[in-house]
Amino acid sequence: MRRGGAPSAIAVLFVLIAWAGLYVFLLATDRTSLYLSARTAWLVPVGAIILIVSVVGYLVTRPDSPALSNRSVSGLALVALPVVVVIALPPASLTSFAASRRSSFASAAFVTSVEDISTGSLSLADVAGAVRSDEAMAALTARAGAEVEFVGFVSRDPGVPADEFLLTRFLISCCVADALSVQVRIVDAPAGEFKQDQWVQVTGNLFPLNNEVVVQAEDVVKVPRPKHPYLNA
Amino acid sequence: MAQAALTPIDTRSAWRRSFVAVAALAGIAVVLNLLNPARIPALQNFLLVFSSLLIEAMPFILLGAVVSAVIEVFVPRSVFDRLASLPRAVQLPAAGLTGFAFPVCECGSVPVARRLAHKGLSAGAAVTFMLAAPILNPVVLVSTIIAYRGRDILVPIVVGRATLGLLAALAVGWIVANKTSGELLSATAEDDEHAHHADSRAGSFFSHLTGDFIFMGRFLVLGAAVAATMQTFVPQTWIASIADTPFLSLIAMMALAFVLSLCSESDAFVAASFVQFGVGAQLAFLVFGPLVDTKLAFLYSGTFSREFLRTVVLVVGAVVFAGTLWVEVIVG
Repeated sequence: MRRGGAPSAIAVLFVLIAWAGLYVFLLATDRTSLYLSARTAWLVPVGAIILIVSVVGYLVTRPDSPALSNRSVSGLALVALPVVVVIALPPASLTSFAASRRSSFASAAFVTSVEDISTGSLSLADVAGAVRSDEAMAALTARAGAEVEFVGFVSRDPGVPADEFLLTRFLISCCVADALSVQVRIVDAPAGEFKQDQWVQVTGNLFPLNNEVVVQAEDVVKVPRPKHPYLNA
Repeated sequence: MAQAALTPIDTRSAWRRSFVAVAALAGIAVVLNLLNPARIPALQNFLLVFSSLLIEAMPFILLGAVVSAVIEVFVPRSVFDRLASLPRAVQLPAAGLTGFAFPVCECGSVPVARRLAHKGLSAGAAVTFMLAAPILNPVVLVSTIIAYRGRDILVPIVVGRATLGLLAALAVGWIVANKTSGELLSATAEDDEHAHHADSRAGSFFSHLTGDFIFMGRFLVLGAAVAATMQTFVPQTWIASIADTPFLSLIAMMALAFVLSLCSESDAFVAASFVQFGVGAQLAFLVFGPLVDTKLAFLYSGTFSREFLRTVVLVVGAVVFAGTLWVEVIVG
């Protein structure tokens, strides 16, 4: 067994500081919403606090550390790897690639009430909820022609007319791994003006057709990716 | 070969290998930055899912490690010896129902179970607690209610999830009940346990806390990498075609739960989206996933003996299959 300043203790401290730094980095750069939903965002400060306390506690108490072996060096590097990935990865969110990997019927888990759909302005969350049940879809159908303003990214299937695309947004309940997509078909958009995965704001009139929701566009403008790219379930 | 990997290396070698590891990590950072993953959609998708799974799961591992370190340092072994002397028919259900009071997901319950077994609680009780907690804890039950509110299958889903989850946990607990902690835990986990010493209670606490974090962390990283790979390259559409097939739909949803590796606190929202599947198949997803998934497979493999993973997969699979089949017959 080796005390405090041994390579093993320094390596353990390095990994702890790296993970503490990652959570502080997420807080400082406001990037938590790229990975977690609002209901799990508390994990980031909690993770940072436990890790910072662990670093301080480890430094103060200087417990014995097992000597390093080839396997433990690899293990420590493996634990540190996600920190490197997150910090090196430019800010990004799921794209149309992810939408294409998820089945279309998995777009219908969002919970919203018939009352929410029947009154006030309509959101993409309302659309997701409407696809989920006949009652909610009936409530949405009753509002056919309503003016809507949706923000999402462009998802274009091959073969669709140039003035059409799917406006896509993901809903997450805990983290990106559980993302579900909600899509509305935009028609009468400026032909060929918007590339795949471009974030846009669409203003137009909404028309539910069977299990699909169509928006006849009045105006489509490019916008930057929102600070919170995912809707929260 | 394996023994050589575990043999301590001298200080100079340790420094050299540590520098190589740091250089490799720095190299990965540079490559990622130059590569611009946005140009490679599959790579970007993999990295986002991988990072997201770990950013969410690591604090649960830490919370589990804190509880585990508290148990190790502050709870006397005699408490667990007394608990271990209770009849099995009392011990296992009590351990399972304790899950109601432990509101963390499956990643947090593994280090606690490992500690409980090491500290003297019977292997059956430790495993029953570990498997029941991710399903029975109140946060998971409430999120299941929220995900299914307004649906006519709300009651069978919530009651079925809690009941089948407890039954599956009890079944595995019963099967491993005769094992000692040495037989239950992997040799690596035992070695790691013996490696943490300190002169003070505080030192011992931080030694075990950080030890658990590092030990569990590496298996979690491997599991998250495999789960993210499967989420990126295995399209979910393959499963849609068998939604109406009675037996296959149950197995397919268990397989999907294994592949997706979702947190038990969020999986109900995803399960509720599979409206083409019957109540039994949705329930199979909700019970199987928190007990056996890709990242858990790595955590179990690192923590427990080699046959433990096989036992969990077979027993949980059989209980969930039989149970959900009955639910399908009665409710569906």
